[in-house]
Amino acid sequence: MKNNVVNVALVGNPNTGKTSLFNQLTGLKQKVGNYPGITVDKKHGKCKISDTLTAEIVDLPGTYSINPQTLDETIVLETLLNKDNDSYPDLIIVVAEVENLKRNLLLFTQIKDLQIPTILAINMADQMNRKGIDIDVELLKQELKTEIILISSRKNIGIDNLKKELANYKNWNTEPSAKISEKIDAAYFSDLEAKFSENSLYKTWLLITQQHYCHFLTKEQNTKIDIVKKDAEKIKKYQHKETIFRYQLINDILKKTYKVDKATATDLRSKLDRILTHKIFGYVIFATILLLIFQSIFEWASFPMDLIDVVFANLSELAKDNLPPGIFTNLIAEGIIPGIGGVLIFIPQIAILFLFIAILEETGYMSRVVFLMDKIMRKFGMSGKSIIPLISGTACAIPAIMASRNISSWKERLITILVIPFTTCSARLPVYAILISLIIPSERVLGIFNLQGLTLMALYLLGFAAAISSAILLHHILKIENKSLFVIEMPNYKVPSLKNVFYEVVEKTKAFILGAGKIILALSIVLWFLASNGPLKYKNAEQFVPSLEENTTVSNEVLQKKIASYKLEHSYIGYMGKTIEPIIEPMGYDWKIGIALISSFAAREVFVGALATIYSVESEGEDVGTIKQRMAAEVNPKTGEKRFNFASGMSLLLFYAFAMQCIGTLAIVKRETKSWKWPILQLTGMSTLAYIVATITYTILK
Amino acid sequence: MQEFLVYIALGVAIGFLVKKYFFKSKKKGNCDSDCGC
Amino acid sequence: MGDTIATLQIGESGIIEDFSLDLIPLCLLEMGCLPGKEVRLIQIAPLRDPLYIKVNGSHLAIRKEMADQINITKL
Repeated sequence: MKNNVVNVALVGNPNTGKTSLFNQLTGLKQKVGNYPGITVDKKHGKCKISDTLTAEIVDLPGTYSINPQTLDETIVLETLLNKDNDSYPDLIIVVAEVENLKRNLLLFTQIKDLQIPTILAINMADQMNRKGIDIDVELLKQELKTEIILISSRKNIGIDNLKKELANYKNWNTEPSAKISEKIDAAYFSDLEAKFSENSLYKTWLLITQQHYCHFLTKEQNTKIDIVKKDAEKIKKYQHKETIFRYQLINDILKKTYKVDKATATDLRSKLDRILTHKIFGYVIFATILLLIFQSIFEWASFPMDLIDVVFANLSELAKDNLPPGIFTNLIAEGIIPGIGGVLIFIPQIAILFLFIAILEETGYMSRVVFLMDKIMRKFGMSGKSIIPLISGTACAIPAIMASRNISSWKERLITILVIPFTTCSARLPVYAILISLIIPSERVLGIFNLQGLTLMALYLLGFAAAISSAILLHHILKIENKSLFVIEMPNYKVPSLKNVFYEVVEKTKAFILGAGKIILALSIVLWFLASNGPLKYKNAEQFVPSLEENTTVSNEVLQKKIASYKLEHSYIGYMGKTIEPIIEPMGYDWKIGIALISSFAAREVFVGALATIYSVESEGEDVGTIKQRMAAEVNPKTGEKRFNFASGMSLLLFYAFAMQCIGTLAIVKRETKSWKWPILQLTGMSTLAYIVATITYTILK
Repeated sequence: MQEFLVYIALGVAIGFLVKKYFFKSKKKGNCDSDCGC
Repeated sequence: MGDTIATLQIGESGIIEDFSLDLIPLCLLEMGCLPGKEVRLIQIAPLRDPLYIKVNGSHLAIRKEMADQINITKL
């Protein structure tokens, strides 16, 4: 049996359960890839339709109309207009849902007019009784000139019917939904149709009304289109008329086919909305939820994180013991394995935060949060939609920055992207933890509050304060037009689908691993090399160190540690540390801390491990107890005081709070803003701020 | 042999980092500002 | 009449007449905010911005500066 493959595109409004349907159809056979040149994720997967037909389904971003508002939505247009696009579909499934059918049908009629075989799947059909909705499906099929399947993607109803009908796609009606063009301006449009006979009329119209999609047309076609585009005002007017007429058509059709019995409809939405968007309780509830989330992350994440820590420490040992001795084995045991471990250890925190966010989004609550926060966020130059990326930034800035793609105003989106790195991400925590335990006494304030815990909270709040302050600053400085076209849907409340939540968490975690992970690993290799090699003095360490007078009487164990310490000091990275020492001295650091600072460019928490090596402590899975003792004992030769005293400790804490050290984030910012200008601005701005604050802190406190 | 492998790993790592940061991604007429109405 | 969506009180409804802006953003029309349709104010955030409305069957939130531009007759 020959197996045919068809390209299928899944389109529909957000909140119609489109993703749910996609998950049902493709299950684990789905992948997230990248659209070339555009920073939107492409979700696609395979689905077996029948014995002879397999579908390659692409889940296009949810959109309310084929005319795009956000970056995400431009993908829909691009995919459906460009025949050379990899995902250009042979057939389209438009997903609608029973409650918002009227609005859903706007997109449907637009898609139908493209004259690609299209089918309508009305989702949440199982809810019809509860909502008092009755649909005359047969009549609707006739009026819309299309096949219609009622489904419930959540309950797995109707999916088989859908597949059966999909196998039949070649027989579908591809007439446009109505002769709207005639209503708007018959003469204009028939002229258009004649001029661009190679496309369907609606496709031609879209090419004219959109601004950026002509890269796949020939020069000749582009010139023709440019001539028509000149009459911009007329085009805009006609777009408006088009929308109005489409809705008229839909209204007429639904009058005959769609009935709602308000008496039987249960209205959970208004009851919940009354509390959740209340001017006082709304905020109280939101704050409480946030607190619960952060509390849970701290409690639940520590166990798996410790586990991962131990596993990788053991793997490292295993590698060293079992692989043939040599520098490649060292690279594996000391560079690669810790490098990978350093990435994986953040997964628990990141996954848990995104789990909460996914659940809140699935229930529909997030739109209410955006509603509550929009006015405040606008004072800071951002949008209500920025709140989710900002919260996500406390896990990892990389998926957080990607989540800002649904902000339609470029200025609001840019500011959001630029300030996210100020929020305290997971990687800063290990550094905060060890420094706080070193310099802050473990006392109780007012009998209940732990001073160390308070300091940690203060650092978190500082991160947010820095984010907001810089947002305000950027808002006033950046001369970018701020077209604020804020329209968000307030969807009905739903019980979250665990399947959807699961896939969402997997996606976001993958984004972190692939975005940050590869870079961290590559840098770990490079840094290992720099720390394990050096010029002459390094090479002679094994002969030189034992020959020193002070070392002739020490045990072999101590001698080995001293050799390791000497080697590090005279390695390439050691020289780098010494070189930057004069710069970092005002902040209270020496070249040893300098080495740790440089190393933490790969991943911030490497700071702790680097210090462990430098102070020649045997770091068995970063035995914090011993590292702490060693750090506490270290003395500043110039002042005779402790190296890690309150002054230098605070200086380090504040440095890490403000410094932009994550090159993974820099890479993502470059990708999302499509320019080097912004990541460079971030880097210089944040580094300068960190330097100044750390220096002032040290100078004042010492 | 081990040295050889190390240098290969190093080369790949550096190559990857350089490519990521200095390689100009192809622009295919995508929007720089919002494509709103 | 001088009323706009922004002048509605919570629970009040009106019929959309026209728009003050010469060319109202297409996205608003596409979401169902059309002349002749009924609009009801469901909730309002502090400082009267944004506004949570039900219009033409859709539940939406829009900013005050947009609501100011949509003229209605109160019911």
